Amino acid sequence: MKPLLKLWSLYARVSARFPAIRSIVPFIPVVVLWAAVAESGMFPRAFFPGPLEVVHSFGTLVYKGILPDYLEDSIVRLAVGTAAGMALGIPLGVLVGLNQRAHALLWPVLLFFQAIGDIAWLPILLIWFGFSLTTMTFVIVYTVLFPVVLNTALGVRSVPLELHRAARSLGASRARTVWEVMLPGALPNIMTGLRNGLGYGWRALIAAEIIVGTSGIGFLMFDARRAGSVVEILLGMIVLGLLWYMVDAWVLAPIERATGQRWGLVTR
Amino acid sequence: MLRFPRLWAALKFVAPLALLLVLWEVLIRAFGVGSRVFPDVASVARAGLESLQDGSLLSHTGASLGRVAVGTLLAIVISIPLGVAMGVSPAVSSFLTPLFRFFSVLAGIAWIPIATLWFGYGFGAITFVIFNAVFFVVTYNTLLGVASIPLPLRHAAASLGAGKWRMLTEVLLPGALPNIVTGIRTGMGFAWRGLIAAEMIATNVGLGYMLFLARDFYRTEVIVFGMVVIGTLWLLLDRLLLAPLERATIERWGMVRRA
Repeated sequence: MKPLLKLWSLYARVSARFPAIRSIVPFIPVVVLWAAVAESGMFPRAFFPGPLEVVHSFGTLVYKGILPDYLEDSIVRLAVGTAAGMALGIPLGVLVGLNQRAHALLWPVLLFFQAIGDIAWLPILLIWFGFSLTTMTFVIVYTVLFPVVLNTALGVRSVPLELHRAARSLGASRARTVWEVMLPGALPNIMTGLRNGLGYGWRALIAAEIIVGTSGIGFLMFDARRAGSVVEILLGMIVLGLLWYMVDAWVLAPIERATGQRWGLVTR
Repeated sequence: MLRFPRLWAALKFVAPLALLLVLWEVLIRAFGVGSRVFPDVASVARAGLESLQDGSLLSHTGASLGRVAVGTLLAIVISIPLGVAMGVSPAVSSFLTPLFRFFSVLAGIAWIPIATLWFGYGFGAITFVIFNAVFFVVTYNTLLGVASIPLPLRHAAASLGAGKWRMLTEVLLPGALPNIVTGIRTGMGFAWRGLIAAEMIATNVGLGYMLFLARDFYRTEVIVFGMVVIGTLWLLLDRLLLAPLERATIERWGMVRRA
């Protein structure tokens, strides 16, 4: 027990100084276990390859240029879809949040269309647009749109009425209250919406790429499935996970921290 | 008019949807949209009636709901004890948090290719996708929930003589419950989408399959009917089961403020 404890205390000390390793070290035992299970031959090798083979296939796919290309395709689709979804969603959310009548009219409709879910649209989209980029973009925009609208509306409605009235009675115009009171007040919620939207949009993208299947990480995985190459499927999953980690750590978390600290009306 | 407030609220909820229905019909007629592009209301209703009569709707819906129920229950039964066990020690939970974050990001659809390879097309693969969509999200949230219980509360309970069992049932579980329920709701949201996607890819029965099959024959009325069924089912599940559950636990045990 003693050496284990020492190791742990070393880890605690080092990770206190370099917080970055805290999100890396926990994966080491998992990879070791994975390698051990793969080596033990409990499952057929073709069904359950080891980490080394995945690293090797990563090398090959990067060398051939397939992985960077597909990755770029997926990221561009997601980025374009998300941007469009936000551009549509935030104004609509503000409208629904501000106007009582719009709220009564649109809220049930929004909830219903959110409930249908992006992926259920795929069959009819395929009839409309075929197996094309439009189909995929539509799916992502649709997915991102609803969480953003619903959360923006919630955020706008959660801004205390006194703040709104105070700004008005201090002489701010309607447009200015929207811009300087409502939007900042709703920002933490908008961020939550963006986070949920991206989480769903991400999955929708993978599903769309599997079903529409022209390029992208989802296609890479499903193509590998067709060829029976588990290595590439695992590689795809790892790339997806890492990518989300990066988006989360480098894009979402900083914005959230900034908005939360600056305008944090809502406690997370 | 306010004698039946719940009925009134329901009516207010349904009215805009009814309006949408009218709008739909009007637009179809006004622009003369062909049935290959978008069906009119009557033919969707007819498709619905047909599928109800020949029992296909029932069997597809039953298959889908059965998969969701099996996968979700299995996941919940395993993940809550696991999450609590891991969350009890702060060191263990902080060590494992990144791992579970990684896997809860992957949860659901990303597992479809490998699930179909491991389990073949059919019940096993789809239930597996649902299982792990719920499993990782719920475990992660339980872990967070237990870890977020203030230590002084646990110390207080311990020094007042609470045994391990009472600590579990009266401090840890109630404290983590709001998080657990939120986790279940999120996880089921992912699972439901994962289900539809998986059914399009990997089976021969279920709502997703019904939609995708109709696509092959350009039967838009069946597709739209299926979409309405999917939307309604999820709305019922979410609004009548999950959201009230979440609200109730947060009100009763909510140490976490609603975001």
